[in-house]
Amino acid sequence: MQQLNRDEIAARRSRALKTAWLLAAVAILIFVAFILSGVLNS
Amino acid sequence: MSIELTHGHEHESHAAHDDHHDHKPTGFLNRWLFTTNHKDIGTLYLVFALLMFFTGGAMAMVIRAELFMPGLQLVEPDFFNQMTTMHALIMVFGAVMPAWVGFANWQIPLMIGAPDMALPRMNNWSFWILPFAFTMLLSTLFMDSGGPAAGWTLYPPLSLQGGQSFAFVVFAVHMMGISSIMGSINVIATIMNMRAPGMTLLKMPLFVWTWLITAFLLIAVMPVLAGAVTMLLTDHFFGTSFFNAAGGGDPVMFQHIFWFFGHPEVYIMILPAFGVVSEIIPTFARKPLFGYTAMVYATASIAFLSFIVWAHHMFTVGMPLTGELYFMYATMLIAVPTGVKVFNWVSTMWQGSMTFETPMLFAIGFVVLFTIGGLSGLMLAITAADLQYHDTYFVVAHFHYVLVPGSVFALMAGAYYWLPKWTGHMYSEKWGKIHFWISAISVNILFFPQHYLGLAGMPRRIPDYSTQFADFNMISSIGGFIFGASQLIFVGVIVHCVYKSRQAASGRVWEGAKGLEWILPSPPPYHSFNTPPVIDATTVAHAEQAH
Repeated sequence: MQQLNRDEIAARRSRALKTAWLLAAVAILIFVAFILSGVLNS
Repeated sequence: MSIELTHGHEHESHAAHDDHHDHKPTGFLNRWLFTTNHKDIGTLYLVFALLMFFTGGAMAMVIRAELFMPGLQLVEPDFFNQMTTMHALIMVFGAVMPAWVGFANWQIPLMIGAPDMALPRMNNWSFWILPFAFTMLLSTLFMDSGGPAAGWTLYPPLSLQGGQSFAFVVFAVHMMGISSIMGSINVIATIMNMRAPGMTLLKMPLFVWTWLITAFLLIAVMPVLAGAVTMLLTDHFFGTSFFNAAGGGDPVMFQHIFWFFGHPEVYIMILPAFGVVSEIIPTFARKPLFGYTAMVYATASIAFLSFIVWAHHMFTVGMPLTGELYFMYATMLIAVPTGVKVFNWVSTMWQGSMTFETPMLFAIGFVVLFTIGGLSGLMLAITAADLQYHDTYFVVAHFHYVLVPGSVFALMAGAYYWLPKWTGHMYSEKWGKIHFWISAISVNILFFPQHYLGLAGMPRRIPDYSTQFADFNMISSIGGFIFGASQLIFVGVIVHCVYKSRQAASGRVWEGAKGLEWILPSPPPYHSFNTPPVIDATTVAHAEQAH
């Protein structure tokens, strides 16, 4: 068994949150860019 | 970091020790409504998917009953169209996709040695959006204007001619999309950040790999669908003309956009199936998976190609010859990585010490019948031939072969494979095999004649048809009724396994099984892998892939 210490657990959590925010931003960006392209083209 | 060196059997005793400190929430609401535990949320997803499977299946029974013979017998044509549309929306977004998310929730943390999903509270939210989305979608059937009836593709101008209930459909699709995106974010965040030390990417089980790639597909295409239906909404209710030809809009543009989402969506439903089958076949062939790395690259190739082939769904709309040629050849290219997969599954079985428990039967059924669906897909990719097949029952036969004995059989295989792990009890092998054989025979009676109907020219999405199609339709409906009824056996097997079975499952369950989930006891403790496991050749299937 490998014991993770508190700092490592906190670092993992922080990395996971960063990943999640980045992916959420990408999803929102695709949605907004898509609608905007439709509006601008029409 | 302090490292304790232990091996498989000691993991199990440690996990059993964890079990003494389970800290399961007490009370029904606390346990299920507010849960942040990946196993509980996985169970919620799977139960919800099963409910939706039977809801969508009931609609399929209405469709097959009406088509049992020519003429209009049971339902009005408009209600028939609502049934075909709702059946598809419910099966795709309510049954197959949530079922795979349920598997992801249960298995990914167990397979990579993580204590839970990376974002447990968002995980809870991802699930609990779904019942509201589908309540909203199903409620349209009771509204004056009825449910959506333009097909799951929601093509304008037909979809724009629906009534007020269309807004409910669009919001339901939005909510399903939000749920899927949040689920995908969680899967990626978990796999990228929560793996046990030593679990490198190329040691991950194939199921985890296929889900990682699926999650990226979902994040890329669900916002596109959300954007497209938002534009439909504003066209319908706010006088815009994105897709309304009368106002200068372009309905064909919607088809391009829809299939830019729709084709990857097919792979979203089938890639996790590839992963499950890649776990099951090595276990029951008692051999390592043939060509693990090739399988990973083939999955990624299929995902990439799925983005650049969408217009093969709309050859008949008309496009430049170069466009037709490009989409035809690009579509055919998908057969290469898919062929790699089928070859590797067969090679894994080759000279293996195979046994045929229910999960293996469903996995082999998947390989054979999915391949039939793949081959009819190749036929549809040929532009000149597609002009004949388009919008006929040949297309219906093709995608049902991919999705029912394809994706649904893999779901069944996975359920039988991991059910003893999840519940701690063995299911009834006898009834599992009965379920498989009735399903495998009836699904072919149901869908194979539809190839002939399509080749003979029977159009899809019609409640009545020419008498020349009567015999094959009757055979197909009989197959449908048997297939539908046989799924009740599955429910019986699950209920028996959970509540009645007295045969306890061991930690490893299957003799040939290898992977981190099998070093835990069955059922695994409520909180597992609080201490990460050691990753070595005794605990993971692909340790030799380490570079």
